This record gives sequence, C-alpha cells and structure tokens, in this order.
Amino acid sequence: MSNLVFLVPLFPLLGFLINGLFRKSLSKPMIGVIGCGALLASFVVSAILFGNVAAANRLHPGQPIPATVLFDFINVSSFKIQFAFLADQLSCLFLLIITGIGFLIHLYSTSYMHEEPTEHYGRYFAYLNLFVFSMLLLVLGANYLVMFIGWEGVGLCSYLLIGFWFKNDNYNYAAKKAFVMNRIGDLGFLLAMFWLLAKLGTVDYNQVFAKTALLSKTDITAITLLFFVGAAGKSAQIPLYTWLPDAMAGPTPVSALIHAATMVTAGIYMIARSNVLYSLAECTQHVIAIIGLATALFAATIAIKQNDIKKVLAYSTVSQLGYMFLGLGVGAYTGAVFHVMTHAFFKALLFLGAGSVIHAMHHEQDIRNMGGLKKYLPKTHLTFLLGCLAIAGIPPFSGFFSKDEILAAAYAHSPIYWGIGVATAALTAFYMFRLYATTFLGNFRGTHDQQHHLHESPAAMTIPLMVLALLSVSGGFAGVPEVLGGDHQLHGWLSGVITSEKTHHLEHSTEYLLMGVSVALAVLASVFAISRYSKKPELQEATGLGKVLQNKWYIDELYDAVIVKPLLKLADVLKNVVEKSGIDGIVNGVGKFVHYSSRQLRLLQSGLVGSYILVIVLSIVVLFLVFWNQSIILQFVQKIF
Amino acid sequence: MNAIILSAIWGVVLMFCSVLIKNKGVYRHIAALGLLVILAGNIHETYHGSFFNIDTHEMLRFSRFGLFFNTILLAATLLYVLLSGRDVEKAGGYVAEYFTLIFFVLCGASILTSFNTLLMLFIGIEILSIPLYILTGSDKRNLRSNEAALKYFLMGAFSTGILLMGIALVYGGTGSFMLEVPRSAIMGGYKGVSFLEVTGLLFLLVAMSFKVSAAPFHFWTPDVYDGAPSVFTSFMATIVKAAAFAAFLKLFEARVGDTSAAVDWKLLLSIIIVSTLLIGNVTAVFQQSVKRMLAYSSIAQAGFMLFAVFSLNDVAKEGLLLYATAYSLATIGVFAVLIKMKDVTFEGFNGLARKNPVLAATTTICLLSLAGIPLTAGFFAKFSMLSAVIKTGTYTWLVVVAVLFAAVSAYYYFRVIQAMYFKEGDAQTEEVTGGFKVLLIAVAALVILFGVQPQALLNWFYF
Amino acid sequence: MGILQFLFWLLSAVALTGAIMVLASKNPVHSVLWLIVVFFAISGHYVLLNAQFLAVVNLIVYAGAIMVLFLFVIMLMNLNTVIETRKNLWMKAAGIISGGILFLIMISVVRSSADMVSRTAQLKEGSIGLIETLGKVLFTQYVVPFEISSVLFLSAMVGAVVIGKKD
Repeated sequence: MSNLVFLVPLFPLLGFLINGLFRKSLSKPMIGVIGCGALLASFVVSAILFGNVAAANRLHPGQPIPATVLFDFINVSSFKIQFAFLADQLSCLFLLIITGIGFLIHLYSTSYMHEEPTEHYGRYFAYLNLFVFSMLLLVLGANYLVMFIGWEGVGLCSYLLIGFWFKNDNYNYAAKKAFVMNRIGDLGFLLAMFWLLAKLGTVDYNQVFAKTALLSKTDITAITLLFFVGAAGKSAQIPLYTWLPDAMAGPTPVSALIHAATMVTAGIYMIARSNVLYSLAECTQHVIAIIGLATALFAATIAIKQNDIKKVLAYSTVSQLGYMFLGLGVGAYTGAVFHVMTHAFFKALLFLGAGSVIHAMHHEQDIRNMGGLKKYLPKTHLTFLLGCLAIAGIPPFSGFFSKDEILAAAYAHSPIYWGIGVATAALTAFYMFRLYATTFLGNFRGTHDQQHHLHESPAAMTIPLMVLALLSVSGGFAGVPEVLGGDHQLHGWLSGVITSEKTHHLEHSTEYLLMGVSVALAVLASVFAISRYSKKPELQEATGLGKVLQNKWYIDELYDAVIVKPLLKLADVLKNVVEKSGIDGIVNGVGKFVHYSSRQLRLLQSGLVGSYILVIVLSIVVLFLVFWNQSIILQFVQKIF
Repeated sequence: MNAIILSAIWGVVLMFCSVLIKNKGVYRHIAALGLLVILAGNIHETYHGSFFNIDTHEMLRFSRFGLFFNTILLAATLLYVLLSGRDVEKAGGYVAEYFTLIFFVLCGASILTSFNTLLMLFIGIEILSIPLYILTGSDKRNLRSNEAALKYFLMGAFSTGILLMGIALVYGGTGSFMLEVPRSAIMGGYKGVSFLEVTGLLFLLVAMSFKVSAAPFHFWTPDVYDGAPSVFTSFMATIVKAAAFAAFLKLFEARVGDTSAAVDWKLLLSIIIVSTLLIGNVTAVFQQSVKRMLAYSSIAQAGFMLFAVFSLNDVAKEGLLLYATAYSLATIGVFAVLIKMKDVTFEGFNGLARKNPVLAATTTICLLSLAGIPLTAGFFAKFSMLSAVIKTGTYTWLVVVAVLFAAVSAYYYFRVIQAMYFKEGDAQTEEVTGGFKVLLIAVAALVILFGVQPQALLNWFYF
Repeated sequence: MGILQFLFWLLSAVALTGAIMVLASKNPVHSVLWLIVVFFAISGHYVLLNAQFLAVVNLIVYAGAIMVLFLFVIMLMNLNTVIETRKNLWMKAAGIISGGILFLIMISVVRSSADMVSRTAQLKEGSIGLIETLGKVLFTQYVVPFEISSVLFLSAMVGAVVIGKKD
C-alpha cells in the first residue's frame, strides 16, 4: 500500500499543470474545483497513508518504515542518489497538516480571490498547487536532495505568490527580498549537503543517521550549523527574518498557507528530521536555542506596536517560530513538532480571520480604522477570539499544551530560558488581545462608506474558519502531558522517528507551578490588553520606545546601512575598476586570441588534396616518433612540471 | 546478423523499386518501412536471437553492445528518413538509388558493430565508405559537390591504403586476422608484443582516426561536409560517424587492450584528442556558414567521443552509447532545419524565432545539447565521457582541456541561437509541414528526456 | 645465391623501378604501361610463393582488364598529350621528403622487429595460393566475408550507374 505515496504530490502537480496551462480557457468555478479537488484527493491519500503507518506502527512497533524508491535520480558509477519518498510517522503528520489545511485554504481562496480576472485566478491556483506540490516533495523526500528540490520549489512559489500582484513595485520588492534572504539560507543547506556527500558519500536519511560514527565532532557541528543557516532563512529567524513581515504583500490566504502554516515550518521539520545529528552537536543546539529565544522575544516586542493587522500576525509568526526553535535547541523535538501542528491550526485560523476582516473592510488593513466589528462579523469574531485564546496559551486550548511542553523542556535546560519564554508568552497574549480588542471591540472608526458595506463573509470563507477553530480548540489533546493525566499520544507516535529526544524529569509539583505561572501571566496580560484597548485604542503616533518598536527596532534600516549600502559601494568599485580594466580585459583578450587562432587555423584548410595528404603523412611520421620516444617525452614533461 | 542481411535485402528491394515504381514520393515510405522491419529484426535478435542460423566461423560476433548500437543507428536513420526523406528527393535524380545506398551503408555499419576479424573490419569500412563517395557527388550539376566527392574518394582511398597496410602488419606480427589472439599462438611462440603488430596498430589508429575525422586526419571533413548536399551531410555526420566510432572502440578494446600491458597508447591518443578538440572548436569559431560550422563542430564532437577509445572501460562504453544517441539526435535535428533554410550562413538564421518559433525553439534545444548544457542529453553524454577518463586515473588534465574547449564550443553554437532570437532579420525557409514540426518537437523532447533521465536509455541497454 | 633468390631480387628491382616510373613519367599512357610492368613483376613474386592461381588472376584482372580500361579511358579522353601542370616545386620536395621519412620508418620497423630478424620469404612453400586450397578456404572458412563483399560490389555498381548515367 505504501506505493500509493507518489499519488500525494501527483495530484497537486496535475492541478498545477491543468490550471497553469488552461487558465485562459477554464471557467472560474472549474479552476476552483480543480485546485481544491487536487488537494482533497491528496488529503484522502495522505489519510490512507497515515492509517497504514498507524497500522504498521501497531503491528511492528519500533520498526522503521521503508522508503519508496521511484527511480534513480543520479547514478554515476558508485555515486547514487535515488528519487525516493519516505512516508513515516513524522512525514505523515506533516502530510495531513499540509493537505488538510491546504485544502481549507484553497476553499477559502475560491471566494477570497473571486474578484480577480479569470486568467489571474487560474494563475493563482496554479501557483498554489505548485507550492503544495513542492512542499509535499520537501516533506516526503527520503534524502536531503529531494528535500532540497522541494525546499527550492517552495521558495520559488513563495516568491511568485508574494509578488502575485506584480503591478505594484513594492510587492515585487518584497518578493525579491524574500527570495534573496531564502537564497542565503539555501546556500547553507547546499554546503551542508555537500559536506555530507564528501564525508559519507550519501545524503539518504537512514544511511546518514546510521553512519554518524564516521563523522568527527567538527564535521557534525559544521554540518548542523550550516543546515541551521538554511532553516533560519526559510523559517525567518534572526538574522534572516525580515523578509517574512514584508511577505505579507501577498494575498492573505497565501500568508496563511505559506507564511504561517507550512513553508516557514520547513526549517523545523528539517531539524526534527535530522534530530539524530543535532543531538550529537551540543554547540549547535545552544546556538539554536539562543537564536530561537532571541527571535521569539524580539519579534514579540515588535508586534506590540504594529498597526497593520497582517503585520501583527506576521511578527507573531516569527515569534512562534522562535519558540519552536527554542524547543529544538533544548532537545524537545516532539514539543517543537507539536507546536508546529497547533500553530498551523490557530495561525491559519487567525490569518484567514484577518482575511475575512480585510475582505469585509474592502482591503483596509490598518486596525486603527476598525473597531466594533463584533456585531457585523459574528462568525469571524467568534473564531478569531478562539484563535487568540489558543495562541495566548489559555487552557484547554491547543496552544497551551504545545507551548507548555516547550517551556517545561526549557526549564529543565535552564530556568533563564524558561523566564524569557514565559515573558514572551505574556507579550504574545498582550499583543494578540490588543489586536482583538482594537479590531472587534469598541466603536467603528472607519468611513461611513465602509460601514455601509460591512458584511459577513460567504460560506466558502466561514466554513474553513469554523473547521480551523474546532481544530485550534481541540488540537492540543493530541499531546496532553502525563502530569495532567494524559499519555501524550503524539510522543508515542513520533518515537520511531525522533529517537534522540532529551527526556527531562521534573517534579509534578514543579510542573504545576510552571504551568500556573505562565497561565496566570497570560490571563493577566490578556485582560489588561482588553481593558486597555477596547475603550480607547491608541490612535496617535507612538513616541519613545514605542516608536522604536513600531519601526521594528530599525532593523531594516540597519541592514540597509551595514550590509546593503557597503555592498553596493563595493559592487560599484568592482564594476568600474576591477571588471572594466581587469576581468573584461582578460575575457576579451581570450576571446580575441581564440578568434585570431581560428583565423590562422582556417588557413590549414587550403582545399588542396595534395597538401592534405602531405600533412597526414607528416602527422603519421610525428606520431611514430612520439610513440617510440614517449618515455623520453614523458620524463621531459615531468621535469618541466 | 538480422540487420546485415535485412538491410542488404532492402537495398536490393529499393533498387527494384526504382524500376517498378515511377512515383518518387513513394520511395521514402518504402525506406521507412524497411527501417522499421530491420529495427524490429535487430531488436528481436537482441533478446531472442537471429532469424538466420549462419556459421560465421567467428568472423562476426554479435554482442549486446553491438546490437544495441545497431538499434541506435537504425532508429537514428529512421528519424533521419522521416525528417529529411523529402529532401533526399531534391538532392538529385536517382532517389531510389540514394535510399539503396543508404541501406548499404547501414549494412556496413552493422558489420562494423559486430566484426571479429580485421577482414570484416575492412569490408565493413569499405561498404560504409563507397556509397558515401557517391552520395557526396549526387548533386551532379554542382561543381562543389563534384569536387567534394572526388576529394573524399582520393583521400578515402589513401586511408584505405593505410588501413590495409596496418592489417597486413598486424597479420605479419600475430599470424591471425582475429581480434583476439591467444598470445601463446603468435608466430614461433614469440612471447613479447610484436613490433610489427604495434606498428600495424598504429596504422590502424591513423586509418580509423581518418574515418572518424580526428585531427590531424580530418582535412577531408570540412570540404566534404560542406560540398555534399546538406541532406547527405546530415547522414554522414551522424550515423556513419557513430558506426565508425563503434568499430574504433571495438578494434581498440580487443587489440590495444591486449597490448597495453607492454605498450602505452595513452600519450598518442591524448595528442590526437587534444589536437582534434583544438582544431574542431577553434576553427568553428570563425566560420560564416552554419553548415561549415557544423562540419567543424562534428570534428570537435569526435574529439569528445575519442575519450571512449582513450579510456577503454565500461563507463566509456556506456558513454559512447549515450554520446552517439545524443549527438545523432541533436545533429539530425539541426540539419533537418538547416536543409529547410534558404541561406545557410549565420545571417540566414536572423530572426527565425519570430518567423517560425517551432523551428527556432527545437534548433535551440538541439544546439544546447551539442554544447553540453545541463538538462539536455549532450550534458550527460559529455559528462560520462569525462568520468570515463577520470576513472582511468591518468591524464586527468585532459578533462580540464575538454571542459575548456566545451566552453569555446558554446560560443559558436550560441551564435546561431543569438541570430535566431536576438537579431532582426528575415529568415527564409522552405515550406514546412505540420508533421515535420511534430517530429522536430519529438526530437527536442527526446533530447531533454535523455538529459533528465539518461538512465532511461542505459537501463534499456541492460534490460 | 640460388636461382630462386636471384629471381626474387630481380623481380623486386623490376617492381620498384616500374613503380617509380609510374610516378615519374609525364605521359599518362607511359604511366599505365609501367604499371603493367609492376603487375607482371608482382605476379612473378606470386609464382615464387607457389601461388600460381593468384599470379594468373592478377595478370588477367589487373594487367589485362583494368589496365586496358585505363588505357582506353586515357586515349578516349585524349589525355596522352603532355599537360604540364604547374606544380609547386616546394610541395614536390616536401612530398618526397615526408614520403621518404615514412619509408624509412617502415624499413626500421621491419628491421627492428625482434621476431622478424633473420627471416625471409619462404619460397616454394605453402599451398594457400593454389586454386584448390583457395577455393576450399573461400567457400568454407571465409564464406561470410566472401558473400558480404557482394554488397560492396553492388553498391559500387549502383554508384557507377548513378554517376555515369546522363540525367
């Protein structure tokens, strides 16, 4: 049955081809049906695969799932890379998340993008299907190369979709920025892959993990660090995070799918997949934990002062991703994957909710012009509130469980990590409820015209919201920790893949205390935010620290001044001085030389048979002489060199 | 055996056709049918054995490699006839006879992939060459065609002399025409490698280099390829050259491989390879006519194929299969378009992309493959040749030289692409049919298929 | 030096002289006639090697048929008048020198081949050249090349027709 696996990425690929090739001739409903249908089919197959893996897990616990080889990708003498898929516990979980949430977002898009002309509508769905295809490749690959193909594919689709409205130059700039930042990360990925190839001669997961003994300490540290550079680029960690907030230029469902639920978690998937390697590299783990923690805190502070509804969510995503990296850094791989799952649910929900609001407000994104939307958009309001509760970590919503697991692991590692983590959690609760209160509570502050047209979104948009809300509420029960009387099913499920999880033993009383503190802080922050912003939201320009936060700590300006401008200067010098006189000279010189010798060699071709035969005879003589004296010639050559 | 006998028979059938059927348009259909029959026969032989049970006294030996090479040659010829068959009718007045000669050439080619004695090598080479002299001169009213034919004949006769001299010396040294001679049986029980044999092999090397147009024995190539009607140049530059290479590899694998313990051939071969790459690539840069450029490029490509003879290992054998396929496909494709052009200089291609985008795009893909750009068949072909050299462990600097010249080759191939896409002009083509375009697209698709999945071809070989 | 060896050297000398004269004579008809001399000398060699059949065939086919054909062609095309082609003297010299070097190399090969030292042609021995053995070998051991060479001749004939026939 496991050979079904090729169907999973096949459906979106077909969807991409059909929608991409026939986008001009298909009608809008047809495009929607093809786009959504591909994802639905893919989801069904994923569910079957999931069932298979579960059955195999129960029948032969502890046995690894074999990879499915589709064909030999590269086969050069002893060097061989197969195009193989691996549908094990970890990838099946991701398959379900990608295809399930992907389907909901496709469905949502049919309504959200309805105003686009048919051709662009088709283009949108084609890109979206291509993205899902690439993401599935990334997750399904049984070696790093296949993963890298998917990795590049999602980067490309992200670029295409951020710049979907390509007539706007700013959007194009944002797309370019995302692409370049991702490429920096990809370089790390590539180098790590080459390093593995050089040392082990394979990039196949199972073989790599089986051969770790052959790698020296330095090798492992370098490889894991380079992989982490790749992950930091894709998952928007310091210092490569600035592209993600700008990526909000794309359509909102795209932000929900790519920049919240799936693509940005690719880095976490990769590290969780390579957990065997990472557990051997302590130094890298420290780096990951610290960067994750710093990103979480840093992004959370910025989110407090943002006024664009999508920007708040974007920084919140960066912050939550930082959380996941913290989990990876302290060895709580399951916790990180758990948080990926719950985050996918509630962040997709929040983005889609925000999309619904933007849709209702006619593309208004500034929350200062909203307010009091509660009565106009009841369904959106309710689901959004549930999403806020989930991300704030209020029990028993899903965010609580996953966040708590990471925090507990962080505490076992170092109480300082835990302290910063909890502070971030409180900030998260604060800015989320600030967003919620400013948007939905109080009085409407928009124009009269906008108020007149306020309406609840159609069913195609609210149904995904409701499904996601349900998941956000209940998703946490997949991993109820032991201390609360659960048995943490997710942990058992992933134990076959994540073999090097660090176990920590905290006293039950300590765990209760930790939970209590974080929940209390979150509740306090939420209540404070609601009470402060529901009545009189801050509309005036921020000053002091607030202004710094609003301008995102001036990081973009810093990058501009420290990296971009000097680079441009250097490029200028290189172009005008080094290239013009040096390189161009050499290149043109070589070209001229070839041309000159070509003209001379052409003269050999005189057209006279007699001279041809003369040259042939002379050549034979020379060949004979060389042949008989070759030992002398070789010695002579060796002496020269 | 099937390919040899069936292609000889079909040659005779076509001779009779010229008497019995007056409609010239029918011949190419009969030829295509014949190729299908021979192809089927050859594939049948590959997997189930020959239709004919003939005791060849070990004069011919049908290996998997040779039969698969036949398949490639026959398939390439089929493609050639389908693409350019209509143009054969325009080359001269004796259409059926031209097809007859093409079938005889195929008969010679099938001998060259299966010979086991030097005698058969000689007969095979002659059957391969003599029809070509005639095809080169088929455009009787054109002085250049006549000149090319005469030149080809004179120089071919000269190389035949060298070939015979070599065979005689090898016979003198070993007392046998067979490719593989048990060393103990050599005249008078003499143990070492005979001086006569080595000298004879050197002459054979020269003669074979002449046939595959390796420098410095290439001089006939540009004149003949340029003078002959384009449609026959296409045939000569692809199928004939590939067959000659198969023979070259087979001969040297047996004989040189045998003597290589005592004699080092690598220096000599590397000199030939480097001079071939140098002359082929550098001279091609300066040409004004695309046809002549392609003649020099075929010399340059021969330089790459010589790496197979240089390395003489399994990678090289596989590589030659791949290279022959990639090179034949791409060259047949480019020539098919070239034949349709009114003006075969670079200027003649100006603005083809706007006038006829399908022709321009497929030509581009074929040219990219010839230049060895990744994702085309040419890339893997070149790659496997170079890896064969690396596998021998010596003379690895040759790889550097080869890559440098491959870079030079990109220059003149891209000149055509540049002319088609980026220059203003009014490219004149003859009328092309829809079927022709479909076939061209199929060729381009195959080029890309083998570029993405070279294993597809090789797996079939091992199947 | 017995009579056989004497004949061998004599015939060799005649063959070489004839071959040089083929190239040296300016009149094409004379060239052809000298070529016939060469063929006769070589036939003599065949006889010495006990290959009478080959000797006769060589005379009939080459000296008889082909050379007569050559003579006819030359006479019909009226080439017997001496046409002094202005050949580059430099080229001539270069040709002679390079050819000479190649010749030298060939001789040195034969001389330095260890297994050839102190061997000469084995005169009056062997029976390969006799009609009976030749026929047997040709129709048993060498039957495949013999048959396949028919394709070669057929293609040559087709070519002759294609080139020779008027359009």
